[in-house]
Amino acid sequence: MVQLTIDGKQIEVQEGITVIKAAKQAGIKIPALCGHPNLTPYGGCRLCVVEIEGMRTLQTACTLPVSNNMVVRTNTELLHESRKFILSMLFSERNHYCMYCQVSGGECELQNAALAEGMDHWPLQPNWVNFPVDSSHPYFVLDHNRCILCRRCVRACAEITGNFTLATENRGAQTMIIADYNVPLGESSCVSCGNCVQICPTGALIDRQSAYRGLAPDADHIPSTCVGCSVGCSVDLIVRDNQLLRVNGDYQGVVNKGAMCELGRFVPIFSKNTRLHTPMVKKNGSLKAASWEEAFSVINSKLKGNKSVAALVSTRLSAEALYAFKKIFIDHLGSSMVTSIEEHIPTAGLDQVIEAGLEANLNDLNEADTIIALGADLFRSHQVAGFIIKRNLPKGVRLAVIDVGENMMAERADLVIQPKPGTDYDLLMGLAGKKSFEEVAKTSYVSEKAFKELQKLIAEAKRPIFVYGKGITFQEGKKNEKSPLKALIELAKTVQGKLFSPKGKANSLAGHAYGLDKMFTAEGCDVVYMALGDDEASQNLMQRLENVPFLIVQASYDSKLTAKADVVLPVNIWAEEEGHYLNLEGRLQETKAGLTAPEGVLPNVQVFEAIAKALGASLDGNWKSDLEKYIRE
Amino acid sequence: MAKPKIASDWLAGCAGCHMSLLDIDERIAIVAELADIRATPITDLKEPDESGVDVGILEGAVNLTTNEEVAHRMRKRCKILVALGDCAVFGGVLTHRNICGTEEALKRAYIETESTDDSGKIPSDPELGVPTDVRAVHEVVDVDIWIPGCPPDPDTIFYALSELAQGRKPDIKGDKLHWH
Repeated sequence: MVQLTIDGKQIEVQEGITVIKAAKQAGIKIPALCGHPNLTPYGGCRLCVVEIEGMRTLQTACTLPVSNNMVVRTNTELLHESRKFILSMLFSERNHYCMYCQVSGGECELQNAALAEGMDHWPLQPNWVNFPVDSSHPYFVLDHNRCILCRRCVRACAEITGNFTLATENRGAQTMIIADYNVPLGESSCVSCGNCVQICPTGALIDRQSAYRGLAPDADHIPSTCVGCSVGCSVDLIVRDNQLLRVNGDYQGVVNKGAMCELGRFVPIFSKNTRLHTPMVKKNGSLKAASWEEAFSVINSKLKGNKSVAALVSTRLSAEALYAFKKIFIDHLGSSMVTSIEEHIPTAGLDQVIEAGLEANLNDLNEADTIIALGADLFRSHQVAGFIIKRNLPKGVRLAVIDVGENMMAERADLVIQPKPGTDYDLLMGLAGKKSFEEVAKTSYVSEKAFKELQKLIAEAKRPIFVYGKGITFQEGKKNEKSPLKALIELAKTVQGKLFSPKGKANSLAGHAYGLDKMFTAEGCDVVYMALGDDEASQNLMQRLENVPFLIVQASYDSKLTAKADVVLPVNIWAEEEGHYLNLEGRLQETKAGLTAPEGVLPNVQVFEAIAKALGASLDGNWKSDLEKYIRE
Repeated sequence: MAKPKIASDWLAGCAGCHMSLLDIDERIAIVAELADIRATPITDLKEPDESGVDVGILEGAVNLTTNEEVAHRMRKRCKILVALGDCAVFGGVLTHRNICGTEEALKRAYIETESTDDSGKIPSDPELGVPTDVRAVHEVVDVDIWIPGCPPDPDTIFYALSELAQGRKPDIKGDKLHWH
């Protein structure tokens, strides 16, 4: 700990932190534009300058580490003059037309800084040089006229996303933010995570959808959890007049530290799905609007005492909803075909990994020096977990990808191996030293060179993590002798590695805990109940539901599936419901209702309650007890 | 002591700042009590007294030689010059034309518009002012007080006027300071 004085206030702070952070701890705000708590210090804009006793010149508080007995002044005439001068230069460099900028009036950090300094005019007028506007991206626009070259976006792209798409070219006043080798954003390697848009201090990067629909300071902010996948990012729902303006990452979020991906940030805002507003019942071959009473009475007549009901639920629904679903269909009706729409694939064999004490969490993933991905593509399916790997690769983390098909991680991998499908067991046993290379090669067709390289990569690793996905767990479900997960556990034990499973949808793990873990078949069922919520059913599943005698669908959106249902029940979407989610590392998190559901639409749990009541089923019990075994933290 | 004299004029603007001035409603009576309101574009007297006024207020940007003359005349005849509104303070909406250049803007407006036939021509007459690049007032004459806003709030305008009428310099900051 070091002692220092800021504006006459004596404080004690941790050694090595910057002056701006120390000031923040003391409740003193130092303005900053290029600096951001979630990025490494840059020291580019010089707005955060402070006076340090004994130092000849003004110092940037965002880069200067504290030292013992330091005396800092943040509020002197000289500093205000200096800050005003910096701001004058920033405003004169490009074209800051505040009057038609979307973020003017509270959301622009540049304007806010100027107003805080009491700037009532620009001492230096702009040069009126036209800068281009890049509107090639489907989700956001980059207006170079409003850019102050703080490089927050460049750093966010590198340090938060690890994508390294954004960069700068030229120098000085000619500097431009570019994507890749100066291609339009829409044609670049951008992964549309929008982390640059959220962090931009001005209106240079703005999303297309929320522009002019309201400023964040005037809107409601609802802290919630993203249900796009099992990572479970902490989010800030920005809502105005019951419209979701934006979904921002929570910079304090334990799981994501502000990072978001396309699925969490933009898909909820840009999706053009049609909401269902009323229950529907099929009459004379076509769906007709019906009352909830009528729909429930039809369902009741189909379900009551019926043993041949198959039921499917989306693991995007809350733990409360999954529990009620289980109580009705497994405990009360005793149906033999009750499962989730993921059909247990992402969590198959999970318990043996947990029992072996080998399960890794996101922090382990972050600290790994070698990552071996097997049948998993985190860059596609669980992108924020993928960002952890991406941003660590330039620090020397090694990546090997073993997958039978296309895998986005392969592009950045040190080693890519494509074994013959279904031969992972042999390959892994070979790596664990339980099979000779000749035996491995016989089935998997892996070359000796690749095998040796992979062996070497694993042997050299100090903290290896094996990321295994559906490519591996899919084989688990087949119950053959050659369980690749068993071989993987064997291998991990020999090299002191850990296993990381991204699982699947937001509540995959909870679904597993509730025993919703069967491969689905509609055979022998006369009624199928599908609780889809705001999720989508896969093509494969839809095909298997093709010839179901009677189909009940509980869904938020109109789809091919609801079109062929016999009864349709309209329900809330995630942003309209409260509930609990067990993320991939066993962290129990909550979603909060940011929006009010349209009239006539019910929450998922309420639909289950009504059905339970009609059937005389009991929903008593605690949804949490089944999860205890999997809750970490 | 005689009441301080206040005069205003407008340059290239939309008159919105003067509308906002009128939005101070009945408080205009207080201003009239404290100060002698002389020439304004919305009263009969159009030009500030040759003998001079204490406070001159200008709305709008300078985009024409005529506006330059108006700005210089006001500066010459007032002790304290106030730039009122975003156009006077920053140049405002009109500055967009600086990017393509005034010449191009005139061509587009008078010759190239879809509804203009072959006879379209850029007006030029000794009676008319000559368009120039768009400038904030302080780029043409010295300004003493800036009140940005599009338009500035009536409360801010009333505050500034009553301060000036009582011989004090208004301090435009905090809630009173906003752009756009």
